[in-house]
Amino acid sequence: MDFVSNKEIQFEKMLKIIGVDCKEDLWKDIPRCLWKASPLEDDGLSEFEGLNHIEAIASKNQFSLFESYLGAGAYEHHVPALVQAVTSKPEFLTAYTPYQAEASQGMLQAVFEYQSCICALTGMDAANASLYDGASACAEALLMAMRLKHERREILIADSLHPHYLDVVMQYLGGHEVSVKLLPVLPDGSLDLEKVAIGEQTAAILLQYPNFFGVIDPVAKLFETSKKFGIITVLCGNPLAYGLYASPNEVHADIAIGDTQPFGLNLQFGGPYAGYIACRAEYVRQLPGRIVGMTKDAEGKRGFVLTLQTREQHIRREKATSNICTNQALASLSSLVAMLWYGKQGIAKLALSNYQRCAYLKSKLEGFSKVKTVSSKPFFNEFCIELSIPVREFLDYMRSHQIEPGLCLAPFKFERSNQLLIAVTETKSKAQLDRYIQLAGDLLS
Amino acid sequence: MKDHELIFEKSQESQHAYSLPKDDPEWLGFLPDEALLRKGPLLLPEISEIDLTRHFSGLAKCNMGIDTNFYPLGSCTMKLNPRINEQAAQLPQLNRTHPLAPDEAVQGNLQVIFELLKLLGEISGMCAGSLLPNAGSQAEFTGLRMIRAYHESRGDQKRSQIIIPDAAHGTNPASSSLAGYETVTVKSNAQGAIDLDHLAKLLSDKTAGLMLTNPSTLGLFLPTILQITKLVHDAGGLLYYDGANLNPILNLVRPGDMGFDVMHINLHKTFSTPHGGGGPGSGPVLCNQLLKPFLPTPRVAFINDRYQTIWNDSTSIGKIASFHGNFSIYLRAYLYIKLHGQYGLRKIAEGAVINANYLKSRLQPYFTIPYPQPCMHEFVVQADRYLNQGVRAFDIAKRLLDYGVHAPTIYFPLLVKECMLIEPTESESLATLDHFVDIIRQIVNEIQNDPELVKTAPHSTSVKRLDEALAARQPVLRYSIKQR
Repeated sequence: MDFVSNKEIQFEKMLKIIGVDCKEDLWKDIPRCLWKASPLEDDGLSEFEGLNHIEAIASKNQFSLFESYLGAGAYEHHVPALVQAVTSKPEFLTAYTPYQAEASQGMLQAVFEYQSCICALTGMDAANASLYDGASACAEALLMAMRLKHERREILIADSLHPHYLDVVMQYLGGHEVSVKLLPVLPDGSLDLEKVAIGEQTAAILLQYPNFFGVIDPVAKLFETSKKFGIITVLCGNPLAYGLYASPNEVHADIAIGDTQPFGLNLQFGGPYAGYIACRAEYVRQLPGRIVGMTKDAEGKRGFVLTLQTREQHIRREKATSNICTNQALASLSSLVAMLWYGKQGIAKLALSNYQRCAYLKSKLEGFSKVKTVSSKPFFNEFCIELSIPVREFLDYMRSHQIEPGLCLAPFKFERSNQLLIAVTETKSKAQLDRYIQLAGDLLS
Repeated sequence: MKDHELIFEKSQESQHAYSLPKDDPEWLGFLPDEALLRKGPLLLPEISEIDLTRHFSGLAKCNMGIDTNFYPLGSCTMKLNPRINEQAAQLPQLNRTHPLAPDEAVQGNLQVIFELLKLLGEISGMCAGSLLPNAGSQAEFTGLRMIRAYHESRGDQKRSQIIIPDAAHGTNPASSSLAGYETVTVKSNAQGAIDLDHLAKLLSDKTAGLMLTNPSTLGLFLPTILQITKLVHDAGGLLYYDGANLNPILNLVRPGDMGFDVMHINLHKTFSTPHGGGGPGSGPVLCNQLLKPFLPTPRVAFINDRYQTIWNDSTSIGKIASFHGNFSIYLRAYLYIKLHGQYGLRKIAEGAVINANYLKSRLQPYFTIPYPQPCMHEFVVQADRYLNQGVRAFDIAKRLLDYGVHAPTIYFPLLVKECMLIEPTESESLATLDHFVDIIRQIVNEIQNDPELVKTAPHSTSVKRLDEALAARQPVLRYSIKQR
């Protein structure tokens, strides 16, 4: 099937008006040797067959049968039903970038509200309309810091940053003259503060909150010291954590970034998620990507437009602050709806509930003899355990009971081959958590 | 509650929409250290579900989309976003999988990735690819990093330049800078094609590659494409194809056959994934044997009858995005391709070209047509003759909004004065195209008889003409309480 509206009868009339005998005349500038023959034999599928095909593929996935305790940058949270209802509205789903602002006030106002919510959560003064994901947001923030401190050529990054994020950052920095130093991590997953060497050569310092291991590092202290040297302080954080823990503003961050996936976005096998970036007022003109601003129309009525566009690629080209064009609009709209659905009280309660369920599981596992919880430091949503039985045995046993118990850290660079990173969200009930504990106890007590 | 109020202005104390799963007394005692807690208030609105619902319904009424309006935005390919794709994307077995789940549990997701890459490879004449880039510009960055890795693997450190046409989309030079290259601009000639003499002068042992769109950003197929690719290869450079304009050549011409080494496809253009008000998109990158080793990770392989994720590879450039890219988006494109089959894709290309040429012919009385030769899927018109009445392309675009049509792209490409870039796509029926011509005729009438009406448009949208200069001069980028 296809969705081409015009048929032979219309095309015949149209070709006459164009003034050609046949459609091939319209391809006369294409070298003949490049023309492919028309593949008439493969006319595709009907809607019914197409959907069946996808459902057959979907049925090969066992994952939905499992209770999952996987996190590591992608978290299972309830997505409010209103999210889908809003994002499937044709005017949002099938619109494009609001270049014609007068015909796009719906989307523009929604983005303005999204920017405002990000500022409310982070305590920052300005936010952009979204970036691709948390990983590229880290990269964009560091490039931004380098533009702000262009005489400095060193960047400090916590080695407890999500390894995927760090890889993406190194990819983006690869095209630039800069030296990256990693801040070492202790066995308990927290930053080794003794080994942090900050100086005037440093353009920026990037920390994650909570970090890859779920640990909350003493960010405020480190950032306060960094500010004395005029370093740009960059905090990559789970936005849900700011419903409980101190905001980027409160810990002296200059730039706040991360991924709003925990708000309103299903796991979707990794994407689309939605990166966010927010900063203090004095840095606004170096923000990458789209920004929506408030203005007035010809009759003095309030309206919204894309603004500060001279930073962007369609005007500045090779001198743009970023190459980003299409961003994650609909995904950030999903996050906006979820953030508003929870609202002022709900986000705080949601964050606390996430914290407490995680703390519960952590404390119960601590009671078993064949397991150690790796850290006693503050945490959010995740923690690591070290097993004294082979991890493989634990994984197989839990999986045989339809539980995906956590992420084995063996494939990562950290030399924690017998550790598991366990994430707990509000989606896990007491009964489910107790079942995890009981089954884990079979092997670990 | 007034229309168009910000959600923050609709806040009513204690009201809320949320519900939360019940907590158990056993964990209520757990609290983090007081010193670490958030001190400042969370300044988000307090709003009930019905008010939140109405708020977004109200916003939707002030927005144009393909579903509601003809949207001939050149270079964006605003074709129908089929609802069957939306249904597929919601299937929980595909939609609720964790990207780090063990391969055995997510064979379905991995199969989609593997098969889609094969299909895109056949369409593009490339042998391998990656679905990781989140959008076209991220794919450009990826492709350029691969080109860099290729030259470095040959021990060639001299190649520091990327050649880009003056008519290229802004992301091309921006991506080039991001990838650490110097951009060198090649001129277009009077026929809207690359000036081959100028290109020959620019090529040197410093050339890493050339980025090109074909058909060009003017909607014209470059008749000298084979000469261009040969010239660049002879100079030791590689060729990057910007796939934004792939729609009119689907299963008619393959970029690989034209001589390109690496390219991207915009799934949110050519393959109908929803534009979403500005994203998410998806920009798969595809390449030939020469560049295949450098593709980013993770990759999906089919070994021993099973799909496997390969997270690391020694020749790969490494990661360019987290996890597996925008899975839910490219899942839609996968179904779109399966529905069409190879012949359906060809019909898209043919329909897009006929629709564009028809519209171009019918608009001839009203605009200057700078490039009279047959166009592909889009074409450029100039509204410069109306400058006499003080009316610019900008004004005509705004007046179109009053007629319920989204304006075409204006002032791109930059080298054509008072231009509009019009791309109807193959989705549109003859009646819609004829109606658009009628609207243009009416607006031209207004320009002759009542130019003020056009110069002060739009009049019937939810706001009148907006002051963009004010927004940039005094940026207000978020709601704050003192705005009340």
